[in-house]
Amino acid sequence: MDNLSKIQSESKTKIKTATTSAELEKVHIELLGRHGLLHKLFSDIKNQPDPKAYGQQLNRLKNEIEELINKKSLSVETHDRASPQKNNKTVFSLPKLGHLHPITITERQLNELFRKLGFSLYDGPEIETDEYCFQRLNVPIDHPSREMQDSIYIHEPEHLLRTQTSSIEARLLTQEKPPFKAAFPGRTYRNEKVTKSNHFIFHQYQGVAVDKNITLKDAIGTFNTLFKGLYGNDVHARYRCKYYPEVEPGMGFDLECFSCHGAGCSICKGAGWIEMGGAGIIHPKVLTMAGIDPKIWRGFAFALGLDRWVMAKFNIKDIRTLLGGNLAYKPNEP
Amino acid sequence: MKIIYSHLKTWLPDLAIDAKKLRDDLTLIGHFSSGYEEIDSEIILDLEIRQNRADCLGYYGIARDLAVFYKINLVLPQINTINYSNTPVPITISSPDVHRIQATSISNIKNSLPPDWLIRFLKLHDINSINTLVDLTNFIMLEWGIPCHAFDTNKSTKLIWENNQRYSEFISLDGTKIKLQPQNLVISDGKEVLSLSFIGGQNSGINLDTTDSILEMAVYNRSRVRNDSRSLKTITEASIRLDKELDTETIPLAFSHLISLILKHCHAIVSGKLLDVYPVKIPPLPIAFDSQKPSLYAGIDIPQNDTLKRLGCTIKNNLITPPSLRKDLTIEEDLIEEILRFYGYNKIPTDQPVDPTPLPDITPPILYLIEKLKDDLVALGYDEVRSWPLVRHCEEPCDAAISTQNSINSDYPYLRQSIIQSLQNQYFQYEKYKLINQKFYEIGKIFSLENGQYIEKYALGMYNSDSEELSRDARSCVSTDKIKLDGSFAQIILDDLPKPDKYIPQIINNTAIELTSQIITLDANVSYDSPQDSTKLIEKYTSLIDPSILWSIEIADIYQNRYTFRVSYYNCDALTAKKVHLNTFNLN
Repeated sequence: MDNLSKIQSESKTKIKTATTSAELEKVHIELLGRHGLLHKLFSDIKNQPDPKAYGQQLNRLKNEIEELINKKSLSVETHDRASPQKNNKTVFSLPKLGHLHPITITERQLNELFRKLGFSLYDGPEIETDEYCFQRLNVPIDHPSREMQDSIYIHEPEHLLRTQTSSIEARLLTQEKPPFKAAFPGRTYRNEKVTKSNHFIFHQYQGVAVDKNITLKDAIGTFNTLFKGLYGNDVHARYRCKYYPEVEPGMGFDLECFSCHGAGCSICKGAGWIEMGGAGIIHPKVLTMAGIDPKIWRGFAFALGLDRWVMAKFNIKDIRTLLGGNLAYKPNEP
Repeated sequence: MKIIYSHLKTWLPDLAIDAKKLRDDLTLIGHFSSGYEEIDSEIILDLEIRQNRADCLGYYGIARDLAVFYKINLVLPQINTINYSNTPVPITISSPDVHRIQATSISNIKNSLPPDWLIRFLKLHDINSINTLVDLTNFIMLEWGIPCHAFDTNKSTKLIWENNQRYSEFISLDGTKIKLQPQNLVISDGKEVLSLSFIGGQNSGINLDTTDSILEMAVYNRSRVRNDSRSLKTITEASIRLDKELDTETIPLAFSHLISLILKHCHAIVSGKLLDVYPVKIPPLPIAFDSQKPSLYAGIDIPQNDTLKRLGCTIKNNLITPPSLRKDLTIEEDLIEEILRFYGYNKIPTDQPVDPTPLPDITPPILYLIEKLKDDLVALGYDEVRSWPLVRHCEEPCDAAISTQNSINSDYPYLRQSIIQSLQNQYFQYEKYKLINQKFYEIGKIFSLENGQYIEKYALGMYNSDSEELSRDARSCVSTDKIKLDGSFAQIILDDLPKPDKYIPQIINNTAIELTSQIITLDANVSYDSPQDSTKLIEKYTSLIDPSILWSIEIADIYQNRYTFRVSYYNCDALTAKKVHLNTFNLN
């Protein structure tokens, strides 16, 4: 193992002292090439006293060297490009346009619609406490509804990555004095495997309106205004009862399937509707915990899942694209 | 919870609507129907039963709701009067987690292969058939939503419900060895564990030779079952029900139904007394209810109706006592929801949004700054990216890095300490796709541990291969000398910067492309007799190439009257790109 530490130290020095991409490539071949140092060490694993531990050490070293070379390649590339003989700047091209991410575009559209309805924006931390992520939303410890959300903990059970933007609602209710109306887009995390159709990071758009006489009619009218603003006057929405611990009465809302227009297809699983989000009148316990008297104030809260919405709108098939390097923009097209 | 349409009709003989309408109505009253399929000439609806409605994890609860909604009668299954004997059942309850249990002994069982109807019924609910006796316990669980269990008394003569103090292991029916933990609720015979509260064991299992059995149906402390199920990493149809608030008052009816069916199908006799241990009976509490409230919450006039009565509530003046089954009804708002869901949310007008009068702006100014920066950077030709805030490696100082404890994606344990980490990953991805000369940025949170506190800050990260331009652009966007430049990357912490009082961003509609293959870049030299207008040339060749594969086109060099075009293609293979390229520039 001492030998590996020495190799690690020597490799770092070699990578550090390379100043051009040619020099770095030479180091790369020397260390990681088919006949390189690491390859030789790997073929010698079986002769080590503890092959398993040695193999793990070696793998770590290989990953570290790869990462250092990758990082270094960025700075030598800059150096290379600064050299006049390699400057391959184009003579003429159409102006390079900048672009917003599809999630930002969608959030801004929603922000604008809510701004017209008098809403502010709001924000909160991504590392949350159990108190704000669950307890203040009427989800005490051991409540069955916690099973709806598998958490990623920073320090169990107290600190976790927020599983829902409702945690911002819990903070807003505590920090501001009613009346208020606010919307809050945000990133949330759940402990799920990343696949083509599922991600552990996703985006929600949430909001609340708290005033003296807020009703379900206000909530439903607001969502309908929103859907019409986004999809035009012909949009068909459905409002139905749905349980969420932080609201009572609770509500789910769906839009008629864009693909089959209600007839039923594989996208809507034959239902003719696509689930868009949830809402309801804020539970009196949630208001009370925030120091707001539910006998005086009433409010509605809502949450929309943004990712599938954005995917449908931008024709993105793989959810991983939203947070990864294969989302790109044509340089000369808006 | 799956329900078979035809079987639901045994509870609701007057149900006169078709299955698709039923699916939609169930969804409207709170039981979202996520699946509708026809299997073996039966229509199966798959319902999403929310956590508050444990009573609907059986046909009984769903049928009760529908009887109220359609104003039709609920018909209970035929249950014969059971004649219990006087022989005590050898059961000891020493766990406080048993909220109610009914049990008895049966003998002379002629267990057999199950009848076809039972095999089919369970199969449609994705439950494997075992033998008649076991299948009937599963049938009853689906009917009433309360699990029940049968023990072979030739294998174990007494049963003790206890919180584990001394047992280390339990072998489930399928032979899986489960390591037990202290306080797990177990059913033992004093020597070994025969069963857990939510899964049967091999050492007391029923088979075709079983002649004597103890049958039991119980409701437990749901937290205990939930903890046991989670800590032992075992989830069963029984645990899904028992870890919720089930109704102790439903047990007598459901248990009698079980005994009736076993007597009928296994030709058995009841040889034991009815054991009914019910340590603490907690009756439902009355709820003060203002009948005007449903209208106040809905925002429209909701006519007075008999919904609460039909739900089985006891009404005394303004005090409403819900039926024992409805554990979810505890406050006035719960009752309001009951009235509104049966009235129909879909009858509430949709054209009257919340009063649009603006209230005082509570937007944190940093959000205005972020939006402004996004617009500024887009105007400078930068693309916005979003990346994983979790990264593979920590940066120095590593003890300031925050890591996750239990992420499935454990290759990425650290919350990024710098946004440059994420942008570097983005750069490598673009490089993989041969996408060069990009200028991009991200605004997002970075994380660190400082003096035991989790710190989050907003950071702007920028990438531009031209580091001079990068530096210039960064300085044009923010007035700070705290720009961290690292080769082609820059990072600026936003929290400490001056922020605008207000900023209304532009609504920009741009497209985005999901790359699935590498960008292919090819050059073409074309000579002309005289100097050309570069813009017109670009326009000309752009119009000749299919836009679904053209990424970009530019002029890389002009030498005398020879123009070098550099064209990038995407969404196609190299051969196709080359073919299109040769045709476009007449290079054949």
